[in-house]
Amino acid sequence: MKRCNDVCCVCVGGEMFRSALGKTLGFVGYTIQYGCVAHCAFEYIGEFVACSGPSMEPTITSHDVVFSERLSRHLCRIENGDIVIAKSPFDPHMNICKRVIGLEGDKVCTSGPSDVFKTHQYVPKGHVWLEGDNLRNSTDSRSYGPVPYALIRGRVCLKVRRGTSPDPSHIHFNL
Amino acid sequence: MKRCNDVCCVCVGGEMFRSALGKTLGFVGYTIQYGCVAHCAFEYIGEFVACSGPSMEPTITSHNVVFSERLSRHLCRIENGDIVIAKSPFDPHMNICKRVIGLEGDKVCTSGPSDVFKTHQYVPKGHVWLEGDNLRNSTDSRSYGPVPYALIRGRVCLKLWPLHHVGALNQSPTGRVVRRSD
Repeated sequence: MKRCNDVCCVCVGGEMFRSALGKTLGFVGYTIQYGCVAHCAFEYIGEFVACSGPSMEPTITSHDVVFSERLSRHLCRIENGDIVIAKSPFDPHMNICKRVIGLEGDKVCTSGPSDVFKTHQYVPKGHVWLEGDNLRNSTDSRSYGPVPYALIRGRVCLKVRRGTSPDPSHIHFNL
Repeated sequence: MKRCNDVCCVCVGGEMFRSALGKTLGFVGYTIQYGCVAHCAFEYIGEFVACSGPSMEPTITSHNVVFSERLSRHLCRIENGDIVIAKSPFDPHMNICKRVIGLEGDKVCTSGPSDVFKTHQYVPKGHVWLEGDNLRNSTDSRSYGPVPYALIRGRVCLKLWPLHHVGALNQSPTGRVVRRSD
């Protein structure tokens, strides 16, 4: 009689374990699936970016949140004047936010406004020339040269203002 | 009698349409889901690459198929002597396959073996110095300078085709890889 009770307890315990394992694996499977779908959405549609730093003032100030769409980058439709998010050439884990001043083949002016002699440079194939809107306080292509197009992540198309703005939900189009 | 038949036909037609639509949407949903999972597998685990060109001979010849793993790149564990697949600095749609000769801060020799005066250059922060194994027939950092680390896609770890050469890849035959003391 005692043995029968022991065997039944082991059976029930084993079944509970299998059921819990099955539910855990199912949960993990769903998480992986939807994580992958979300990753692909951020990769191919767009992502929200929180900017920091003064190099794009007054267009984008520190702690602004912008939406950066990925389609232009994948379809190679980045144009002069677009604001782009790119990977920093000097730190693969950091991103930079600058405006495209010249595309491949364009002639860009590399001298400052106070220089007597104007110097120019042609943007090489597969590269872009980036500059911040706040020219006095921006490290950009004027110091590190043209940036390979493949480092561009996306084009900033919307600004969602945050923080001390009088209208926190104000959304800007056409930066 | 006739009207009843017509209405029944419309009902059956409408139901068949809804059922077909539901199956199509379900199929599309599954395709998107598993496509995303496959994309993330290629993005974070590794991918198969068919190489072409003579710049990495004799280590990798044209029409070889190699497996390039992504983990080293994401964990920043690329080292001197590794063969990497990177996006070309001159064409964002092309990839290049070269060997890492120097990492950021390393001193690389930029002059040829036949030059009298040796010139050197330090690899800037966040960049790597890439060279092909076939030095006479390779366009690499000796012509276009150091390449940003962020352009690296993955590290080649296995050769899969041709079948009689399956296995790990050889060390650099050029002797130009910078040795690190740490």
